[in-house]
Amino acid sequence: MYTILICDDDRDIVSALDIYLTSEGYQTIKAYNGREALRAAEAHEIHLILMDIMMPELDGIRATAKLREGSNVPIILLTAKSEDTDKILGLNIGADDYITKPFNPLEVMARVKSQLRRYTALGGAEKGPGLITAGPIAMDDSAKVVTVDGEPINLTPIEYNILKLLLSHPGQVFSSAQIYEQVWNDPAYGSENTVAVHIRHLREKIEINPAEPRYLKVVWGLGYKIEKGA
Amino acid sequence: MKKLQGNTAAKVCAWIVLLAAAWGAGVFGVRALLSFQSVPSDSWQYSGWFYSAMAERSRDLKEGIELSCQLDALEQRLAEGNADATLQADAEALREERENVGERFSRNNTWFRFRVLNADTGEVMGTNLAEGESMRKAVRDMRRETFAVQDGEVYEDVFYYDPETGAGYQTPPTAGLNPEAESAPVKLVLEYGVPEEIANVEIQDEFYQIWQTYEHDRAFFRQYLTGFGWLGALTLLALIWVLWTSGHKAGEERIVTTWQEKIWFDLYAAAMIAAVVCLTACIIWAAEQLYWGSANVYSRMNEDHQTFFDLGVLGTGALFAAAVGCAALLLRTLAVRIKAGRLAQTTLLCRVVGWTVRTVRDFVRFLPFTWKLVAGFGVYVIFTFWLTMRGRYDGFFLMINFLLQLALLLFLSWWAYGYYRLRQGTKSIAGGDLEYQIDTKRMPYDLRLQAEDLNNISAGLSAAVDEKLKSERFKAELITNVSHDLKTPLTSIINYVNLLKSTEQTDPKASEYIEVLDRKSQRLKKLTEDLVEASKASTGVLSVTREKIGMGQLIDQASAEWEEKLTGRKLTLVTTLPEGETWVYADGRHLWRVLDNLLSNCAKYAMEGTRVYLDLERGKGQVVLSVKNISRDPLNVPAERLMERFVRGEDSRSTEGSGLGLSIARSLTELQGGAFDLAVDGDLFKAIVTLPQAS
Repeated sequence: MYTILICDDDRDIVSALDIYLTSEGYQTIKAYNGREALRAAEAHEIHLILMDIMMPELDGIRATAKLREGSNVPIILLTAKSEDTDKILGLNIGADDYITKPFNPLEVMARVKSQLRRYTALGGAEKGPGLITAGPIAMDDSAKVVTVDGEPINLTPIEYNILKLLLSHPGQVFSSAQIYEQVWNDPAYGSENTVAVHIRHLREKIEINPAEPRYLKVVWGLGYKIEKGA
Repeated sequence: MKKLQGNTAAKVCAWIVLLAAAWGAGVFGVRALLSFQSVPSDSWQYSGWFYSAMAERSRDLKEGIELSCQLDALEQRLAEGNADATLQADAEALREERENVGERFSRNNTWFRFRVLNADTGEVMGTNLAEGESMRKAVRDMRRETFAVQDGEVYEDVFYYDPETGAGYQTPPTAGLNPEAESAPVKLVLEYGVPEEIANVEIQDEFYQIWQTYEHDRAFFRQYLTGFGWLGALTLLALIWVLWTSGHKAGEERIVTTWQEKIWFDLYAAAMIAAVVCLTACIIWAAEQLYWGSANVYSRMNEDHQTFFDLGVLGTGALFAAAVGCAALLLRTLAVRIKAGRLAQTTLLCRVVGWTVRTVRDFVRFLPFTWKLVAGFGVYVIFTFWLTMRGRYDGFFLMINFLLQLALLLFLSWWAYGYYRLRQGTKSIAGGDLEYQIDTKRMPYDLRLQAEDLNNISAGLSAAVDEKLKSERFKAELITNVSHDLKTPLTSIINYVNLLKSTEQTDPKASEYIEVLDRKSQRLKKLTEDLVEASKASTGVLSVTREKIGMGQLIDQASAEWEEKLTGRKLTLVTTLPEGETWVYADGRHLWRVLDNLLSNCAKYAMEGTRVYLDLERGKGQVVLSVKNISRDPLNVPAERLMERFVRGEDSRSTEGSGLGLSIARSLTELQGGAFDLAVDGDLFKAIVTLPQAS
């Protein structure tokens, strides 16, 4: 039984989220501005916080910074600001994830679950030899098993090889041709467009919202990469 | 300091000090000037006064000798017994006079030393030298005069005396001597002089005076000079004070001008300079008078001489003070005019010259340009011709000609440089830098007019563009804010629609309605997102990070994203790429959005069962990407209209899509330095993205 703090100045959004989260079996605490959120976080044991950015009294960014002074509870920012700078600022200040408004409730649920799994069950995670990780993605090369937030996912051999290549070089950008040559062990003769399709499938399996990938990123015009330190 | 500057009492004091010090300096100056003659001479016997005194003495002496001769003759006649009462009385009078001369030339009364010799015998006829005293040793410079005495008359310069042999020679004709005289002439030599050392103060003759004056002059010259120097310095100081305080008045901030400053400066200066020149002439004259007066024995004899001399010196000093005062007045008005910045204005010459120059310049300026050119060229040709003709024989004119040509070259260079600047400025403005202002400083008049007009145009344009940019920014901000405010309620709508979907509906129609709500809310979401993006892209507030992007790679990635959706619409994507990777400088994310929008358009508007062509070509430093598809509906709008916001291929707005896709694509392409074109040929829709190729 996890307790989730929902914080937004729009009461309708808070109650909608409350309904979704309660139906998923979470306990919720509601707050309508940053100050209330800080008070609630002090009074209760909170496992996750959903926090709006634009709020009266104390905005989400400052509240996050305050919370981060004494806690590492997962914080997901809800933001109507879609500018990249706002997202980067939020993540740098200590938020774990962000969802842009207007959001799909299902995506919110998926992200909440993901963050909770990482926060509670996985914790430090058992790091053995042959285990490659990047954020929630863990690849056990000996068992040929890939898990995202501890949930095993099914991959085809080619997808598995592509993921392995990218995971073992986090942050490095691979072009389609490079990936083709490494995975297929064949020189690329313009047949590398299949790589893009494979990666799209891979993204759909790993990412909660494939249109806005968090881990397996498309570097447009250059290739693909696994986000470093994600 | 300010207070002191405006103090009237201080000013009056300064003037008094100035005049008094100048007067004192004048007095000391004249004194120094008059005593200067004594300073460089080695002996007091080298002065004019001394010479005139010596001449006087020798004349008196000769008169004395004449007197003695006459007396001798008379005595002889008396001895012969021809003594009548008149002769007796004459002899008595002569004797008395002779006695006086003897007294005057007595050793006890004068420093004058003399000896009269008979030129033929060398016998001493008379002397006031002491016994055994040598004439040469007794005096500093011994002078010698020769004369002859005949019948009691003195005849000068009638023979030559050789002091070596002591013999007197007759000069050729015994001119002047009376040949019919009773007795033969006696040749006499007069030797005389004054000792250098005057020790005995009791003998006070004119030589004693000369010596005393000389000693006095020598002793006091330095003092006079020092006095002159100090008082001169004081005068200068007072003058500086006067100049510094001039024009300032207590309680007045600005410079106060008086009636003096109302006079034309040139006239004032001329009057003052004339006065100073006159006064200087007077001073010189007075000083000369004083000099000669003091060198004159007779004037010296006047008992009021010293008083007159002192008065003269004081008067000369006053003249000097007056001259200094005039100069100070001139300098004061000059200082006031300069301080008030009205020197040129109150100078007649400046006004006249300035007016003339302005009139001529304005006349030339307002001549039409062509006239100016023709007239200028005509003058130049005539002048050059004349100079050349003259210069054939005259180096001066040749040089003038050379200088003229040099001046012409400089003038043309000036013009050319002005034109160059004008051209540069025009280029900058034409190139879009509307802020650019051409520097019109030191530009030829005609070019400056042109440049100023251009500056005005560019300023006007710049203002208009700024205004437009501001309004665009404002619009973008407005749209961003509005869409942000839209997003919050929209979030609730989407969430509650989703909640509704998950609840049981008794009415079967209800779920249908919910479906509509869901679809439309999703569309609204897309619309708000596109709206923000379109406004940001068109106003250029987006950040663009251009890097080397592989177009082949991008097309691969894009087609992988869209392939399934296109296949779902029964559309086939046909990609044609050139050999090898094609590189462009672009922002990958923005370029992806362009391609995403184009392919999304295809998915929305292409006729089912047709092919979508994605062609990439490169050449001439450009990369051309074209997307072609067959429209499902007839395209009844021209290509340009399609790129405008909220315009879609069909007039009905029933289909999904915001009508912003092409507008965003175009703005984003242009942001990256590319070009975006549309072509419509019947139902064939073609979008062409051109980007500069990266090497």
